[in-house]
Amino acid sequence: MEIQVMQDILGKNDEVAAENQALFAAKKVFALNLLGSPGAGKTTLLEKTMAALKDELRMAVIEGDLFTTKDADRIARYGVPVIQINTSGGCHLDAPMVQSVLPRLDLDALDLVVIENVGNLVCPAEFNIGEDEKAVVLSITEGDDKPLKYPLIFKESAVVVLNKVDILPYTNFNLEAATEDIATIHPGAMVLPVSSTTEEGLFAWYQWLRQAVQKKREGYSE
Amino acid sequence: MCKECGCGQTNGNTRLQFQVNGYAEENVHEVEKALLGMPGVMYVHIHADEGATTIDYNPAKTKLMEIMNVFASRGLEAAL
Repeated sequence: MEIQVMQDILGKNDEVAAENQALFAAKKVFALNLLGSPGAGKTTLLEKTMAALKDELRMAVIEGDLFTTKDADRIARYGVPVIQINTSGGCHLDAPMVQSVLPRLDLDALDLVVIENVGNLVCPAEFNIGEDEKAVVLSITEGDDKPLKYPLIFKESAVVVLNKVDILPYTNFNLEAATEDIATIHPGAMVLPVSSTTEEGLFAWYQWLRQAVQKKREGYSE
Repeated sequence: MCKECGCGQTNGNTRLQFQVNGYAEENVHEVEKALLGMPGVMYVHIHADEGATTIDYNPAKTKLMEIMNVFASRGLEAAL
């Protein structure tokens, strides 16, 4: 009897993601998939991270956007290698896109590659791109209901950065409720309230990155 | 899978509706939290008065028996 295979369980994307992950592992480079809505503050968080850690960690950034190099231009000012991927309207990065640009990075000379995904709370969470961890940035202006409304991205992310806490007094965002919802759908996820503008709370983010890079150097991922 | 744009892999989510007997005011929220914290469980809605409990989950990440155990360990009787 012939058995028809209707779906390749390990799809093409996951195969390529595994190759990317193996490459990052071989080079002991920590790869972070940075997720979040448009305007959540992913690029500003990265700018602060570059400024704070570029003399300590050897970093590169892969920028995912539908169009333009606006974010890559911002990152390039910090003197770190940056590669732009334009998806031409595509709502997420996938593993083959990332694989196609990795030869342009000197992974032997890097500790950390941050892959800033396309701004979107839904689709990027579906695609493994070979990262060690995902982190999601949620801004206060988006509302405290997002963790329960978009659970996958919060379940997948090791770290949830709650950004723009400097404007908390001017909004009805309930920080306690949001934190509890995140802990409910992803017990063990780290929640970091920060303001990339005022730099409040960023030390904890930097510490998490430092530790993740250190663990990767020592031969095991998070 | 993103149903809005059609991208992504079919993630295999399944929606199940249980009839659960024994809910009390003090355990409904706790059951909801326990279920939502399980891998692959995306949505839980409990109608405490009637016992109707709807769960969206990925069977590849959490087994049905593990969900049943959440009810059983709290003295609740659940049936599909």
